[in-house]
Amino acid sequence: MVYLKWVFWAVLWTIVLTFLHYTLPQHDIARITDTYEKRVDFGENSIFWANSGSGNAAAPTNRDVFFIQAFETNGKPIIYRNEDTGWGWPPYFKFDTSNLQAEASDLISKKSAATAQWVSITHYGWRNEFLSIFPNAISVKPVAGPDVRIVPWFNIILLTVLAALVWGIWARWRKFRVRREKRKVDHYTEGWG
Amino acid sequence: MVALLKLVVIGGGILTVIYIALSIYSRRVRRGKLEAEWLVAGRPGDEDAFVEAGLKEYDGSLRRKLILGVYVMPVAVIGTIVYLTNFN
Repeated sequence: MVYLKWVFWAVLWTIVLTFLHYTLPQHDIARITDTYEKRVDFGENSIFWANSGSGNAAAPTNRDVFFIQAFETNGKPIIYRNEDTGWGWPPYFKFDTSNLQAEASDLISKKSAATAQWVSITHYGWRNEFLSIFPNAISVKPVAGPDVRIVPWFNIILLTVLAALVWGIWARWRKFRVRREKRKVDHYTEGWG
Repeated sequence: MVALLKLVVIGGGILTVIYIALSIYSRRVRRGKLEAEWLVAGRPGDEDAFVEAGLKEYDGSLRRKLILGVYVMPVAVIGTIVYLTNFN
């Protein structure tokens, strides 16, 4: 039974951390090399693509999706999709996909460029080659160079608030349980034991 | 606009559940505090009357109305995110 408890908590923590890692914003320092649009036929991976309903038809089987190609500071390629999240999940409320694509095209900087233009790309999601899934770019901002460090203030604050909230509810739940146990014991003394 | 409607209906539903749960919890905590207060004050008169009077005062208090923040906060947060994501 002890092992069952361990497995339960391990699975729960894995789910929670995986969910947060997918959903929370991250910043990549990268060099955009191209932006393009390609038709995507959604299959088993459809859950990893936006289902925004920001004016367009809901849940089509295929559509054109914007992509942003980039190279990270370590020289490895990273491809982002650029999709509206609309009013759906995750709650980025992104409607400016076309504007973002324009900004990204404006910041293109190839390897051959005399002075490389580095950008900070805010995104959520994962790149997975086996599932053909891409992180969704939220915003691009030009930065001074490849060594810039972005402090994830939003994540720090959100995780702190989340931890405080969970702890607050958990502490109250425990107090409630302990009191109920005690009341059973104190029954004969009418709660004055 | 269907997506927005879905957000408002489902989100509003969840917030209403939180609002009701929080209201009940807060009132119960207040009741417990009033009962303790009654004991500390040297049991003045009838306990139920003392507690009821205190709860009536609580119902009209600002503290009670602050629970409405359950609705106000998410709307403010969503408004801020919409602005920061799309227009900043």
